[in-house]
Amino acid sequence: MVNLPKKENHDSHHTLPPENVESSVIVEDLIATTNGASKSFKIIAIGLGIMSVLGIIALVLKWINYSDDSTRWGYVAALVSFLLSITGGAPMVAMGPVMAKANWVRPLTRLAAIFSFAGVSTIIVLIPLLFLLPPLVVDGTRRRSIWFEAPNYSPHIWGIIGMVLLLITGIALFYSAALPDFAVMRENSTGWRQKLGKKLARGWVGTDSQWRTLRMRIGMFGTFYFFVMVMVNFLYTTDFAQGVVPGYRDAIYTLYHTVSSWQGGVAALVIALWIVRRNMKLEKYIHLDAFWSLGRLLFALTLLWIYLFYSSFIVFWYGRSENDKATLDLLVRGPMIWAFLAGATFIWLVPWWILIWNRVRKSINGMAIGSCVIIIGLLLDRIRLFVSAWSVPQEFIHQKWLKQIPGTIYPDIFDVIIALGSISLSILMIMLMTKIIPVLSIWQIQEFNLLSKPIKFIKGHATLIAKPD
Amino acid sequence: MTTDVEKFGTRNWGMIADLDKCTGCQACVLACQAENNIPINTQDRVERARSISWIRVERYWEGDFPDTKARFIPIMCQHCENAPCEPVCPVYASYHNSEGLNVQVYNRCVGTRYCANACPYIVRFFNYWDPVWPESLRNHLNPDVTIRSRGIMEKCSFCIQRINRTSRKAKSEGRELEDGEIQTACSAACGTHGIVFGDLNDPESRVSKLKNHKRAFTLLEQFGTDPNVIYLAKIDPNKKGSEEGHH
Amino acid sequence: MQQKRNLTQEYTNKVLLNGTLETPKWWAPTVAGLGFVVLIGVIIIATMVNRGLGLTGLSRPVYWGLFITTFVFWVGISHAGIMISAILRLTQAEWRRPVTRAAELLTVCSLFTALVFPLIHAGRPWRIAYWILPYDISRGIYPNIRSPLIMDPVAISTYLTGSTLFLYIALLPDLGVLRDRTTGWKNAFYTLLALGWKGNPRQWQMQTIGGILLSALMLPIFVSVHSIVSWDFAVASAVEGWHSTIFAPYFVIGAVHSGVSAVVTMMALMRWMWKWDDFIRPEHFDALARLLIVVATGWLACTFLELTFALYGQDAPEIALREMQIFQWPWNLLFIIFFVTGYLIPVPIWCVKKYRNNIAIMFWTSILVNVGMWLERFLIIVPGLARRTPFVFTWEAYRPSPVEWAIMIWSFAWVSLLMLLFSRFFPLVPLFEQKESQVFTDDIQIGRAKVPAIVREVE
Repeated sequence: MVNLPKKENHDSHHTLPPENVESSVIVEDLIATTNGASKSFKIIAIGLGIMSVLGIIALVLKWINYSDDSTRWGYVAALVSFLLSITGGAPMVAMGPVMAKANWVRPLTRLAAIFSFAGVSTIIVLIPLLFLLPPLVVDGTRRRSIWFEAPNYSPHIWGIIGMVLLLITGIALFYSAALPDFAVMRENSTGWRQKLGKKLARGWVGTDSQWRTLRMRIGMFGTFYFFVMVMVNFLYTTDFAQGVVPGYRDAIYTLYHTVSSWQGGVAALVIALWIVRRNMKLEKYIHLDAFWSLGRLLFALTLLWIYLFYSSFIVFWYGRSENDKATLDLLVRGPMIWAFLAGATFIWLVPWWILIWNRVRKSINGMAIGSCVIIIGLLLDRIRLFVSAWSVPQEFIHQKWLKQIPGTIYPDIFDVIIALGSISLSILMIMLMTKIIPVLSIWQIQEFNLLSKPIKFIKGHATLIAKPD
Repeated sequence: MTTDVEKFGTRNWGMIADLDKCTGCQACVLACQAENNIPINTQDRVERARSISWIRVERYWEGDFPDTKARFIPIMCQHCENAPCEPVCPVYASYHNSEGLNVQVYNRCVGTRYCANACPYIVRFFNYWDPVWPESLRNHLNPDVTIRSRGIMEKCSFCIQRINRTSRKAKSEGRELEDGEIQTACSAACGTHGIVFGDLNDPESRVSKLKNHKRAFTLLEQFGTDPNVIYLAKIDPNKKGSEEGHH
Repeated sequence: MQQKRNLTQEYTNKVLLNGTLETPKWWAPTVAGLGFVVLIGVIIIATMVNRGLGLTGLSRPVYWGLFITTFVFWVGISHAGIMISAILRLTQAEWRRPVTRAAELLTVCSLFTALVFPLIHAGRPWRIAYWILPYDISRGIYPNIRSPLIMDPVAISTYLTGSTLFLYIALLPDLGVLRDRTTGWKNAFYTLLALGWKGNPRQWQMQTIGGILLSALMLPIFVSVHSIVSWDFAVASAVEGWHSTIFAPYFVIGAVHSGVSAVVTMMALMRWMWKWDDFIRPEHFDALARLLIVVATGWLACTFLELTFALYGQDAPEIALREMQIFQWPWNLLFIIFFVTGYLIPVPIWCVKKYRNNIAIMFWTSILVNVGMWLERFLIIVPGLARRTPFVFTWEAYRPSPVEWAIMIWSFAWVSLLMLLFSRFFPLVPLFEQKESQVFTDDIQIGRAKVPAIVREVE
């Protein structure tokens, strides 16, 4: 071997820790992002608005044409699940690490909390499904459900209450953490934003007791949000998927749905962070560290997907009872095999091989690509689960197990427009929110600057991070 | 050896149990006990729920009070085509042979008892102790059947020793086996001819014909085990329409 | 959180080696006592293998009982080590440091003990090698890899190998310390084991990389071991209480619950027995208790899902089974004890900061958790088999015999004995981790307050 002369490039081995930014500069920079809107922002917003209106029209038209045939509504059910996953999952991601006192999460708490607002579109698309869901007593006999003795209207009423509660809790979580920033807006913004800040800051001046209350509220709403989110996932997956298929009984389904919704939420958050960082010029505040840590989380969640899927699959596959066989025939091997194969590829196989490399996790663009793949995979996975479940005619509901596997259902034009419209509406909500409040939490970034100090450590560089109680 | 496998490969042994003919007399149980060298179920073994009986006659109730009727059903290994006991055995002691029999290889068995847990019919038995017979019965043991030592599983074999003996005899005489030529101990002992044994692959055999009877059903079909033991439901003269005899 | 504590290296060495370089007074009597229990246990096991499984209380259809419960229990306890060492290492939780060695040791000892149970539980244990090792190749029959019972030994032995390596790699620097402080045969013993550890930068680098690589590799094994154990039960579609898809995550999270609780028990004992008050601090108990609150709640959610979806099917046998498991004597008493000790008492107590920092309370609550978790396994395995099935007139036919109880007690004595013997030769708190944490903790001045801080190296 020839010894090539080594380049003296000591500094490249040690990326310097990001410098602390002055507190006043943070305020100035972040308040500036809310002011005004560029031309392209306006054009995109108007385009998304038009798409949203079209989507709602398509939903109404579909209801007029097919309200008597529940088998045609699978794609709408899958869409609700998809939207629920992302808009419900993303805030969860910001809340969990906050409670574990992780610092990398600070730049993204606000953005994650804003995702809650997009939950509005989930509720809109859910409405027709509520009317299509069969009652608990069909032809005088009670069908299988988790509502053993409950009144007849239970699944419908609790389904919608859960979704609305999730939206409200999400907004409460957002608001409880936004008080100090509204106060900053009160002091530093102009025009209607200042008035809004004044109104919403509710006399925040940052006394000790106010900070204590703030932290308590975040902890409380965060914990509550977690429970509501798991409960909504539980209700939606049992009532709107397992409940409509005779004999389908999968105890892990809630867990599977919740975990893959975090996966989708993290992925959506990475993409949002990527866009915000580029388009709002926030490179100074959104560091590689955030992407890198999200990458590790996303990789862990991707592995969890296959674990939870396989845990359920092996039990059905090995069990081989009539019920087990019918479940697999419906969800995996049968009419939806294309969605299963494509979904598994995009939600697990490809991201696995992308995210396993530290180099990818440490690159901002690589993370964005991996996240896009996961989002596509999530959509396909939801299609597999919900379209197949809803394709079972409601006459079968009293069978002990599914004796006849229905054929493949393909989306019609309404489904496509509804999907595009509702996703547009979600994006639009998030975009508009970024103009109302700074997309990065000012106080979180200021606090981190206070708690961390770049130091020289032995031979390299390090950060000293305070861990207050 | 291989020629035997080739020759028998086309067979699929099955059994029909006609519940309408079952009187609950337990002759089949006794015959099986004698034929297959099953240890005596002494009182203490029964009390500790460790008794072994490859075939048993269970009583079940039909109808609602006050029109309840006691019925009898003989239960033996169902020789499932899709047997839950087979894939769980780590040593292939429980496996499916080419004649449609679910066989238990005593030599391989290490006694994990997993097969017994997997079986929905609870027809597999574990030898908690070495088998013992009173001195007077020592000479009555069937020389064609292995005596099972402690620590292994056993279960109904469809009297495989009789199948082999009769097949060998037919082969030595240079002819095909006739339907009904092979009798298991239980089918031979059944006073009402309620148990029929034969080849389900032979469309002309009695079992094949009875298999498609309108009273035919299999036990616990929800487990998807596809048993080779087929029951014919009890006829209830007082009840019209419904002929489903099982639970 | 982590207070900066100024402990000199000499002091650390002196105190943490107090069980290794000298013999504590209580050591010999304790070992003798445990050894006596173990000896009796071994005699009972030998008798059972010699006379047959008739000595147990098993029957038909309850073919699996106390042995399998205890097997699952010990496999569950073994999840402590990797949870503490690997997961907390990868997530850079500083407070893990004094706990790691004890947790890894617990993993190795409990796995080793767990492996005994499937062996003695078989009808013909002397033929078991045929199942685990396909030595009987002359017959041309390979073990049936479709059987979960083949996957079990594969997973467990992989986990045991990995955990042992993990323990050993983390021992290397401490072995060097011991080698330099001993003479005679002991010196030779440590010299052999230390593999020439000098503590130069290259060795430290290798040791660190080895630890991190093993952490990452052990994680999937950690998850798979208890999942595979759970599938022993879950794949049996004929047993109503077993055939549930939630079992794999349910077992894993339950294992972490019981494993981490067992670590808490051990830590309290270590603090009391070796007087390591300066190293095993209330804040470590506090951190473990907070972890346990989350784990226990996740586990409770899985319990809830398991029960809900058992009833969801609304099949008569399933409902009958659950009625027996929860409401019928004596299962109902066990169920109440399981629920109260597994969750209802410990978790609310851990929610109070004052109690989390109280070592005696932590000790007793962690023991309660393991009582509950043992009962959980018992209540999953036995009622599932003791249920009333359509065509059998024997059910609920199981009462564990004294032999089974004795062998279960043996397993606890055996694990304790193994760990005590280990402690005589190797320090239970890693010296180097302790010293490293000294370097990595500091104070930071914020305004007028001095706040404890940790150092994070920049990649």
